[in-house]
Amino acid sequence: MEFTRRTFLKIGGLTLLGLSAKPGWQVFSKVEAPEPSPDAETLARKKWGMGIYFRKCWKYEGCTDCIDACHRIHNVPNMGTLKEEIKWIWTMPYEEVFPEHEFELAEEKDQHKPVILLCNQCDDPPCVRYCPTRATWKREDGIVMMDFHRCIGCRYCMAGCPYGSRSFNWRDPRPFIKNVNLEFPTRTRGVVEKCNFCVERLAQGLIPACVEACKEKALVFGDLKDPKSEIREALKYKTLYQRQPELGTKPKVYYIL
Amino acid sequence: MEFWRAAHCNFELLFAQSSMTPILQHASFYWTLMLDQRKKIIGEDTVLFEHIWKSGKGFYITVSILGALVLLAIYAYVTQYRTGLTVTGLSRQIFWGVYITNFVFFIGISHAGTFISAVLRILKAEWRRPISRASELTTVFILMFGVGSVLIDLGRPDRMLYAIRYANFQSPLLWDVCSIATYLTVSSLSLYLALIPDIAMLRDLGGKREWFYRILSLGWTGTEGQHHRLDKAIGFVSILVIPVMITVHTVVSFVFAMTIQPLWHSAIFGPYFVVGAIFSGVASVIVVMAVLRKAYHLENYIKPIHFNNIGIFLMAMTLLWFYFTFAEYITIVYGNDPVHMSIFWSKFTGKFAPLFWLHFVLCFVIPLPILAIKKFRTIRGTVIVSISIVLGMWLERFVIIVPTLTRQRMPVQGAFYIPTWVEWSILAGCISLFTLLYVLFTKVFPIVPVWEVREGREKAAATAAARITSYMPETGAPKE
Repeated sequence: MEFTRRTFLKIGGLTLLGLSAKPGWQVFSKVEAPEPSPDAETLARKKWGMGIYFRKCWKYEGCTDCIDACHRIHNVPNMGTLKEEIKWIWTMPYEEVFPEHEFELAEEKDQHKPVILLCNQCDDPPCVRYCPTRATWKREDGIVMMDFHRCIGCRYCMAGCPYGSRSFNWRDPRPFIKNVNLEFPTRTRGVVEKCNFCVERLAQGLIPACVEACKEKALVFGDLKDPKSEIREALKYKTLYQRQPELGTKPKVYYIL
Repeated sequence: MEFWRAAHCNFELLFAQSSMTPILQHASFYWTLMLDQRKKIIGEDTVLFEHIWKSGKGFYITVSILGALVLLAIYAYVTQYRTGLTVTGLSRQIFWGVYITNFVFFIGISHAGTFISAVLRILKAEWRRPISRASELTTVFILMFGVGSVLIDLGRPDRMLYAIRYANFQSPLLWDVCSIATYLTVSSLSLYLALIPDIAMLRDLGGKREWFYRILSLGWTGTEGQHHRLDKAIGFVSILVIPVMITVHTVVSFVFAMTIQPLWHSAIFGPYFVVGAIFSGVASVIVVMAVLRKAYHLENYIKPIHFNNIGIFLMAMTLLWFYFTFAEYITIVYGNDPVHMSIFWSKFTGKFAPLFWLHFVLCFVIPLPILAIKKFRTIRGTVIVSISIVLGMWLERFVIIVPTLTRQRMPVQGAFYIPTWVEWSILAGCISLFTLLYVLFTKVFPIVPVWEVREGREKAAATAAARITSYMPETGAPKE
């Protein structure tokens, strides 16, 4: 057979195709379904929610027990600057979070009191739609999960979240963690993180760390689908606020006046 | 070139002496034949080929400066890759800045090439011929930087392929990936197709790089059948590329419009961004044309009439851009939603006011009078306007993206953004690398499509005349 240019191109092309078959196959075939949650059916029967009592929370001024507990067990670093701040649970003055509920408060000075903010674990979470890699998704029990190993750091979920619940690791966070909790993963630079409603504790039958840490029991946690649960009891016949319910995200964190 | 001229002279000298042996006579005949062919290929368009072969002092100086800026950008990116995005001015609150602005801006610029070459081709505007390649090349090269800007912005660039591996087609970012990939393919194809006859000319001229041109020319010999097929292919691609172009900037705007953030969540963002894209793109093509004209002595090809014609189009775009901007803001002001208004006031009178009003002046106040008055619509006039528009449109993208992040739905702390040297170096590096690639392209291929210009010279007048005749009412007795 004469070795023409055409033959060369043919053989070369086939070789390239052959060599690229395996990596190509790996890229496109290995799309695993998002981690199967432990016993999806059992989870689907539950819908976790949280209630926060303003007045109980305001009893001790300057108390940060819930924040400290959360940030300690989840290896949330203290970056020291507003620019690179990472927070899973934090506070803002009442007048800024609920300006539309100005007159419900009895006392004027309460306007400046702190309101605890965290990921709302929305029932219709916008962030999940925006993520290009499905690194964030909603579990059957309604918890909005985050896979630090799949996040590419595009920060589109941060743009999509109307509550500012997500933080980005602008640099390697590990040197900024005081005592590393070996039972929870640390993050690398370049990924997004947020509150996870303590899934790792729920799996062990424990309540979230912030709820447990509060001495005043200002935080209540439980299954919203169970009419006899602690959270449903707490919400019954009360004046309830949610953050920006008009956006249709259906937050599962309730504020109880 | 010099060598050929010298060779020619020598042989003429030999002829004059008329003391040749028959062998020499044979050789000289061969040379004359070669030179004749050369002359036939180059014809009167020597200047269109000259920039491929000749590299003056200016070329080396330009390349060194651009190369240095590219190296600076590489250093900046390596710094960012090693320490993380902390080296930028971005923060928890304002997490998108210069890079995302660049992304929208560069992809916007890429719309001009298609617009000028494909649309004018379909409209049979004969004056497009000398400038179609310059604009298509702008499209293809700048598009790569649009894509690159997003990749530079990623926190984990090592995982960028996850966007394909674990693709979530619900995310507007994936729509961008699909749309931009299609656009890059189609516009590269359109650039290449129109290059084939010119590559064949370069192949026939011979020289060291003949093998390279031989492969790329795909056996083009310029027969009737080949021309017919090429025309068909170019026509098809020109039509295909227009809807693709519209989708590109539409889905780029959707990245913002699909969120529920104040002043991003707007239904007119799709067309508004497309108009802005064509606006800034056409302006940058004017700048590119002026530079090429000056640097490569193309005065006889790229004429004041080209600047005038594109200038008129640019004026229409200025007005259209103003119309969209006005429609966007009047809706917000009249609606008076406090969440939207707080961002609106930060642009109108607040801390973004200097940038907002500067961009308005650059995009509207300066361009409109200059473009509207015929006396000012000269080469100098349109270039000044174009530079103003290009700067203004970069700022426009910036004042669309950043102010919304300063205060999403409630006041926040730490909403403060000053880009650092890393971001500015990468911006400068992107523009430099774009220019460098452009310059290097002109060292390999002619920047004015020689065959198209010739085709125009030979056939356009007759075709246009026939076309015009066909518009006219028939005279004489109606045909049976």
